[in-house]
Amino acid sequence: MIPSQMLKGTLEGCILKVISHKETYGYEISQELQEYGFSNISEGTIYPLLLRLEKNELITAQYRESPLGPKRKYFSISQAGKKELDNFYKNWLELENAVNMLFEKGEDNNE
Amino acid sequence: MNKQTRELNRINNELNKQVNYENKEAFTDIVCYLRGANISEYNQELIRQDLLEMILSAQKRSEDIKAVIGEDYKVFCDNIIENLPPRTIKEKFLNFIDIICWCISILSAINIIISNDTISLIRNLIKGGPVNFQLSVSIGNVISAVIIVAAAFIIVETILKNSFKIGKNKSINKVKVFLICASIMAIFLLIAWLGKTTLFTVNIFTACTFTLILYIIHKILSRIQ
Repeated sequence: MIPSQMLKGTLEGCILKVISHKETYGYEISQELQEYGFSNISEGTIYPLLLRLEKNELITAQYRESPLGPKRKYFSISQAGKKELDNFYKNWLELENAVNMLFEKGEDNNE
Repeated sequence: MNKQTRELNRINNELNKQVNYENKEAFTDIVCYLRGANISEYNQELIRQDLLEMILSAQKRSEDIKAVIGEDYKVFCDNIIENLPPRTIKEKFLNFIDIICWCISILSAINIIISNDTISLIRNLIKGGPVNFQLSVSIGNVISAVIIVAAAFIIVETILKNSFKIGKNKSINKVKVFLICASIMAIFLLIAWLGKTTLFTVNIFTACTFTLILYIIHKILSRIQ
């Protein structure tokens, strides 16, 4: 399981990526994240993050009638959200590269 | 509560009936905590709607509220509140005036109805005796009204801010409860004893008009908020 402290900074970007695939809702996002290996990500974990993304106008929300009963909130990515997603991925690659370099070179130096 | 919020509140109240027994207590605590937060009533209802959708969908999948929200409801609520716009000073002020007008109009109506002067006025009107339309307002009436309004504010705030703790501690200190109740009784007896002095008299029609005006102000303020 990925520690929550480690997830904190990256989860918003990952949610944005899932929403960029298609218009979706909270539970579906949590399920998709779990399929990709983000274990233990419940709908309740991502709900406050969805509110933050909406507040920052990176996603837009629309209520639709649900076949199960109450209205369901569907999210789509905005233009600002697409830019933010590109930015997030660039930053992630930079971080991934730096961490990998440190571990790989660190191993070589130790040997 | 404006029209849009009232409609959402009505829909949510209907949906709330579908929340099962296992999830009800936790959901009520969450809603109570959100009610005490510094966010607009409309946003409270929007969040309530989203949470109801999450919980009712979970119930259909035979999952409980913990599977959806996690173990720490307070952290969940704080994370939500953090991402919602806080109420402005104007909104807070209007809400405060609204509650004060509502409380005073109710207390005033009760005082008019149960006043000895009103009872003797009705008795004399029926029997055809001399009628006096003046009501006496004592120091005790005024002090009791202030204490009741202040106590109501404090009790409601305490319950809303501590919704996740209240009622969870099953062991009740009976001596503590007795002492609190006895102190409250003593205060009111003291007020009744010391506060018999008439502060002023007021015509019953003026008192009724004052009560009605306060109630109308409350109605208007609650609709525009």
